Amino acid sequence: MVSTTSVRPVSAAVPAPRAETEPDPAPKAAARGLSFYYGEVQALKNIDLVVHEHRVTALIGPSGCGKSTFLRCFNRMHDLYPGNRYEGEIRLYPDDMNLLDASVDPIEVRMRLAMVFQKPNPFPKSIFENVAYGLRVRGERSRRTLADKVEQALRAAALWDEVKDRLEEPAFNLSGGQQQRLCIARALATDPEMLLFDEPTSALDPIATASIEELITELKSRVTILIVTHNMQQAARVSDYTAYMYLGELIEFGRTDELFIKPKHKQTEDYITGRFG
Amino acid sequence: MPPTEHISKAFEADLEETRTRVLQMGGLVEAQILAAMRAYASGDAAIVEQVIENDRRVNGYEVAIDSACSHIVVRRQPAASDLRLIMGISKIVTDLERMGDEAEKIARMARALHQQGPQHAQRFPAIRHAADTALRMLRQALDAFARLDAAAAAEVLKEDPTIDSEFTSVLRQAITYMMEDPRTITAGLEIVWVAKAIERIGDHAKNVAEQVIYIVRGTDVRHTSFADVERELSKN
Amino acid sequence: MRTDAPQPPRSAELAAMRELIRRHKRADIVFGLVGLVCMMVGVVTLLVLFVDLMIDGLPRFSRDFFMNFPSRHAERAGILSAWVGTCLVMLVTMVAAVPLGVAAGIYLEEYAPKNWVTDLIEINVTNLAGVPSIVYGLLALGLFVYIFGLGQSIATAGLTLALLILPVIIVTTREAIRAIPVAIREAAYGVGATRWQVVADHVLPYSIGGIMTGVIIGLARAIGETAPLITVGALTFIAFLPPSPLRSEAPYVSFEWLLSPFTVLPIQMFNWVSRPDEKFLLNAAATGIVIIVATLAMNALAIWLRYRLRKRIKW
Repeated sequence: MVSTTSVRPVSAAVPAPRAETEPDPAPKAAARGLSFYYGEVQALKNIDLVVHEHRVTALIGPSGCGKSTFLRCFNRMHDLYPGNRYEGEIRLYPDDMNLLDASVDPIEVRMRLAMVFQKPNPFPKSIFENVAYGLRVRGERSRRTLADKVEQALRAAALWDEVKDRLEEPAFNLSGGQQQRLCIARALATDPEMLLFDEPTSALDPIATASIEELITELKSRVTILIVTHNMQQAARVSDYTAYMYLGELIEFGRTDELFIKPKHKQTEDYITGRFG
Repeated sequence: MPPTEHISKAFEADLEETRTRVLQMGGLVEAQILAAMRAYASGDAAIVEQVIENDRRVNGYEVAIDSACSHIVVRRQPAASDLRLIMGISKIVTDLERMGDEAEKIARMARALHQQGPQHAQRFPAIRHAADTALRMLRQALDAFARLDAAAAAEVLKEDPTIDSEFTSVLRQAITYMMEDPRTITAGLEIVWVAKAIERIGDHAKNVAEQVIYIVRGTDVRHTSFADVERELSKN
Repeated sequence: MRTDAPQPPRSAELAAMRELIRRHKRADIVFGLVGLVCMMVGVVTLLVLFVDLMIDGLPRFSRDFFMNFPSRHAERAGILSAWVGTCLVMLVTMVAAVPLGVAAGIYLEEYAPKNWVTDLIEINVTNLAGVPSIVYGLLALGLFVYIFGLGQSIATAGLTLALLILPVIIVTTREAIRAIPVAIREAAYGVGATRWQVVADHVLPYSIGGIMTGVIIGLARAIGETAPLITVGALTFIAFLPPSPLRSEAPYVSFEWLLSPFTVLPIQMFNWVSRPDEKFLLNAAATGIVIIVATLAMNALAIWLRYRLRKRIKW
């Protein structure tokens, strides 16, 4: 009798290259009919967009298209300033809650969805205190826990080896790229469910930019990432999904490869090929 | 297809120049095939020399266009239709260059064939037809490229079975010819090689047409049936 | 050949261009000189005044001058009750004005809703800084002396001056807070901090240098104020000290001094200036030097503080 296990069919040993893409993962958040107003001015118009779990979703578009405004809806940053108004909802999964609901405290939203800003903005405190601040806000007092969490966060932000011997030094002594990674560590320290990046490399040189992009790619196994960038190549490099926005509207949303090779809409095509305007 | 121009005039000019050079190269390859077929019919040694000499120009075009493509990729990071155009062009020039090689091969065979006597070439009118079909395919493919017309490119794909059957009929005639008189075997084999070269030219023309469809539509239609292609093109 | 290509200028054009530059530079020199003269008018006048004051006053400086009460004899008169009064009034002013002013500034900047009411308050606070100090004196006379019944006391004087410098402290507090970049604030809110956490952990620590500067500049202004204190009834001749704030028996501290009559340096000086005896003018000059030195010292402290605290923070 011929053993069926001794001879493996060729087709199993050499998997055929697959052109088809994997199915979309479960949604982590979804904007539904989201509109946003700065006073009387409508900045976002009826946006529907799904952010998939453990993937990087990039928002691109010309200046003033509303991509940053959209991002800042996710952690209710607009609540800090008077006269801002949301319509529609952003649902967060798996608990299926509406982040924009009046009954939801924006502070809870910000604790669960952390943000990294355009310019590195460390506090004028020590490196340690910067990372620990999110934990302190949550009332963490144990020195041990703080030290552990700070180390974990700094390791996750690929900064630990560079700063482990000078945790008490002021954060301003770090270079721009290190400061931005410190801000990422600060955001990571509290184990957020989503990371929101608002043009995180626009103030950095190419090498620092590359290290942040590498970090974003590494981090997506831990958190779901939404990133605003005005650099189309950056969106192409780091993201799995890309959304193109123009004048407060979502023009096109799709897998990054498809959007950059074969966009469906003429407006997207014109923007990413530099025919805009 | 895109009515709006790039913001960067230099980019626009670079793309336009590269496209023009592809068309020039295509024209040259077409002329090479025509000349090779004239050499096949007449055995004129001067034409053979001319074809061999001109193939170096074809090769030169390939290198120059490829380097222009690298230049554009590096400097402009093209995306979407621009990216597909550049990727497509860099494949099209490879096919055009191969066609040039086939033309040179035909010219060399023609010389060898006529050294064995002028009568052999006249015995195979099917070769003429196959060559006409191949040339028509090439012309149509280049035309589709010039106008970025996917429908015209799809027409080219339709022609491929024609050229295949013409090749088969040449092959059958050649076998009969050689069986009748074993002294004609060398000449017969040359004929088969010429037919094969023409069939290859048709294949490359088909590849060019497939690239045109990719450039225009963004769909890869290689290794799919013609029915699939038509279905794809009928979408919106 | 391109015709619009820049051509090197010919020598005639060059000469004209150089002449033009020379002419324009003459205006530079003229204004430089005018400016210098204007500046000298101010500085030299002040300098002459100060030197004159020094020549008159310095010989009066001695231990006795600081430790004696005022007297009918110019040689024996001192400023003890005046400088002690000034110190105590300043203490009351500081204790009252700093928490009020800083808290108000923080509220306006961080908490108050931004609408027309806050705008109105903002404009008023800024304008209050420009109200003549005698008006504050009148207000305090009615409020503290008659309504609250604090009398013509150190408490009244301190509170009056506190009112006077409150707008200064509010305005400088707000400026100091506003100097903190929005990005830092958003970073703190971004990790889930509440308003109070942002204020306590970030806004106050980072703006403390600016706030202190404002406080000191306010106090420096208060130290020289005369008019409102005369209005609320500062005495001009006091030959005793207020009761000591410390006691030997429980509860060891006393606030009786708050209600004690008082005088302060500028009033003592004003009093001496108005005497017919010229010897008292020398005493006035010496007191003037004390006030000027105190004011300058406070301003220097403000500059130093600002420098020290700003050095730690760079945005």
